[in-house]
Amino acid sequence: MSEPYPRRVAVTGIGVVAPNGNGTDAFWKSTEAGLSVLGRVTREGCEHLPLRVAGEIRDFEAATAVEERYLVQTDRFTHFALAAADRALDDAGLGRADTDEAPFSVGVVTAAGSGGGEFGQRELQQLWGKGSRFVGPYQSIAWFYAASTGQISIRRGFKGPCGVVASDEAGGLDALAHAARAVRRGTDVLVAGSTEAPLAPYSVVCQLGYPELSTEEDPTRAYRPFTSAACGFVPAEGGAMLVVEDEGSARERGAEVRARIAGHAATFTGAGRWERSREGLAHAIRGALAEARCAPEEIDVVFADALGVPEADRAEALAIADVFGAHGRRVPVTAPKTGIGRGYGAAPVLDVAAAVLAMRHGVIPPTPNVFDVCHDLDLVTGAARAAEPRTALVLSRGLMGSNSALVLRHGAA
Amino acid sequence: MSDRITVEELSELMKKAAGVTVAPEELQRGYDSGFDTFGIDSLGLLGIVGELENRYGTPMPPDAERSKSPRQFLDQVNGALLAGA
Repeated sequence: MSEPYPRRVAVTGIGVVAPNGNGTDAFWKSTEAGLSVLGRVTREGCEHLPLRVAGEIRDFEAATAVEERYLVQTDRFTHFALAAADRALDDAGLGRADTDEAPFSVGVVTAAGSGGGEFGQRELQQLWGKGSRFVGPYQSIAWFYAASTGQISIRRGFKGPCGVVASDEAGGLDALAHAARAVRRGTDVLVAGSTEAPLAPYSVVCQLGYPELSTEEDPTRAYRPFTSAACGFVPAEGGAMLVVEDEGSARERGAEVRARIAGHAATFTGAGRWERSREGLAHAIRGALAEARCAPEEIDVVFADALGVPEADRAEALAIADVFGAHGRRVPVTAPKTGIGRGYGAAPVLDVAAAVLAMRHGVIPPTPNVFDVCHDLDLVTGAARAAEPRTALVLSRGLMGSNSALVLRHGAA
Repeated sequence: MSDRITVEELSELMKKAAGVTVAPEELQRGYDSGFDTFGIDSLGLLGIVGELENRYGTPMPPDAERSKSPRQFLDQVNGALLAGA
């Protein structure tokens, strides 16, 4: 049933903690410059593992970003989420006093691919090393997928609808769509996004079973999707949180509308069945375009999933061709995540942040480390390309089979 | 380590188990205030009880983790330690 005046969903704030920038400005500067920060894995206990290259965050001081109790009670992925949420709310101009006035009108939605693995490992080591009496009670909440949603809402006193989406990498986009639906149903503000911290020993060992994981040692060669040298993906930590709100009330309070979430759709085609993701991804793109009432030719830039597995890259290139036809060979495609790695559920949220910033700055960031593209795509490589994107499409696929597409419109549109 | 838990030790346990810093003097002043006013939730109190049980090698009364205030808590755990001594 359609409402007489359906609410439009605005992005008014962006908060980033990424390997290439601890903060939104630093992230954008590095992304626009095509800087690659992939490097050897240096996290304690991971050095000897066969995963050699990752996108680590090295300049994040949890102790300065969050209060002491969160250091004791929560995992690194939640530290990232709390910091990113603070930054997003600051960016949106929503202070504590504003949200305290109407706590039920603010909710939180996050996506999580792995939860708090580092915290969990520490407590499991206590369990098997010393016994059950030495496991701290905060284990019961710190490693849950839902931990970041809960901690953000408790810390800021939000009492609106909250949720967590656990749907693979594509969950990052699904969380934003979930937030957009909450806004359309009447909640004014949602803090939504995803952060991950999968670079601790237990978490890394869990990932070693993924055939798509790149174990290449050279950071410049480890993650090169859409090339004949594609050898898998490089994992990353960090992520982004966005402030998503009703466009009308955002404009009323004088907030800058940075972009609009216009359409989304998701499909499922099975774990590791990359050939089939062609059809699933194409279906998701069509659904997102339909919801956005957007013709394929209106899409000015595509932020690709760019898994880096030849079969998956081919499926994605074909999905784009299936939906866009001739426009598919002309529309600029980019994958800035090749410079920072793939942060599971957080990866597409960082892509959304980059897409919003690309529309704002009139430039399409490049795809670091990628040169000889072996697909019929106009992949932006080398340097950023001047453009005036008004409408962006962000794609994401999960290792377990989720496919998702999100359409963003320029804020002034 | 004395055989009675003091506010100093409770303050140290709050920091260790829950990451909440409250000076012993402040704890003394708020002796009858709720733990929630110091920022200690039920999991935090459960962690403090677990730490004490490991330290003293003796179980604490089940009501200890349900204590509302520092006074109630210290009465409970010190009563148990005295009985066990």
